[in-house]
Amino acid sequence: MLALWTVASQLTERPQTLPAPWVVAARIWALAASGELWFHAGMTLFRVLASFVIAMAVGIALGLWMGRWRAADHWLNPALVIALNIPALVTIVLAYIWIGLNEVAAVTAVALNKIPVVTVMLREGARALRPDLDEMAAAFRMPRLARLRHVVLPQLAPYIAGAARAGISLIWKIVLVVEFLGRSNGVGFKIHLLFSNFDVAGVLAWALAFVAVMLAIDLFILRPWEARANRWRRDEA
Amino acid sequence: MRLDLTAKSFGPRAVLGSLTLQVGRGQRVALLGPSGIGKSTLVRIVAGLDHDFDGTLSGDDRLALVFQEPTLLPWRDALANITIPTGCGPDDARALMAEVGLAGREAQFPRQLSLGQQRRLALARAFAARPDILLMDEPFASLDADTATRMIALTGALLDRSGAGLILVTHDPAEPARLGAAAMVLSGNPAILHR
Repeated sequence: MLALWTVASQLTERPQTLPAPWVVAARIWALAASGELWFHAGMTLFRVLASFVIAMAVGIALGLWMGRWRAADHWLNPALVIALNIPALVTIVLAYIWIGLNEVAAVTAVALNKIPVVTVMLREGARALRPDLDEMAAAFRMPRLARLRHVVLPQLAPYIAGAARAGISLIWKIVLVVEFLGRSNGVGFKIHLLFSNFDVAGVLAWALAFVAVMLAIDLFILRPWEARANRWRRDEA
Repeated sequence: MRLDLTAKSFGPRAVLGSLTLQVGRGQRVALLGPSGIGKSTLVRIVAGLDHDFDGTLSGDDRLALVFQEPTLLPWRDALANITIPTGCGPDDARALMAEVGLAGREAQFPRQLSLGQQRRLALARAFAARPDILLMDEPFASLDADTATRMIALTGALLDRSGAGLILVTHDPAEPARLGAAAMVLSGNPAILHR
């Protein structure tokens, strides 16, 4: 990819259209050195994490409810289909109009975009829960919370991991749009400014820097957690 | 524990007819009958897993169920498979595991145990619940003859020591005698109990 980018950048007539990788790298370095990168990336990351946590919590609860109770599924499914198909932009604009141009509106808008996706994935997981283990838990009169923690959630772990991975990437893209439209800090806000100057090197520098952050989250948080959660699948101790 | 059943049906199909089943601590009863007659349905009613029947279930005895399959939590290690469902302490769980010949395997996951070991773990789990009455649903059905013999002996020893009663569901007429259980046969349509 890097080689392709280098060749393409050398073939373009105006360097502003597609700056060379080293130009972008120098830009990232300058941003990091000035501290600007950490502040805006930090704000974006905060919004990503806040909406991620809300979307996962609400989505898991809704998905579990709809997957286990036919009536809930029956009544909520139309709303879910509608929610899945509302464009992200519409949710964002409405949230800003109804709640105001503030942090609550930003995080709510992003979470609302993600909740239906998590719900759909977790509903599949809840439908696949093993009935024999449910009966075992009932026969031993396991308390509700213990059942959720030791019987239900471990079975949902692959679905939760899938929703988390798909979710975190979708969320950061939407967070950028939210910042672009109505925040005065964050990576999306910076890209908004750079866009008005047609500063491609700047746009790429911010985007790549934040992609690196997301990659680090996947490598150092999601993967180790998954490896731990899947220990029991191995044949040998 | 006493069950006075008037009738149990699945939709329009009557499965069980009028019957009474009474078992206390120290009493051992075996329910025999061909497959599909409703033995498992009866045990599920007694275990409180099926509330949809006509009749009354009374008594406040502690029950524990051994299923046809081990039905362990694959994502928890052997020791946790005893302590989590039953709420018993880790020391008691270790002692029980030793009793069923699983000492040293506390940290292994069910997948890493053989089927015979998984069944012994399920048996240890049932006794960890300190039952007054142990319910067993065809627990020896899919075992080879040797393993079944050992499992039956082990079950008998644990029953002797704990003094728990037993309701054993089986289709093998030899099993009740080996556990000293009174055999009752479930037959008819809808099925009722015969001594």
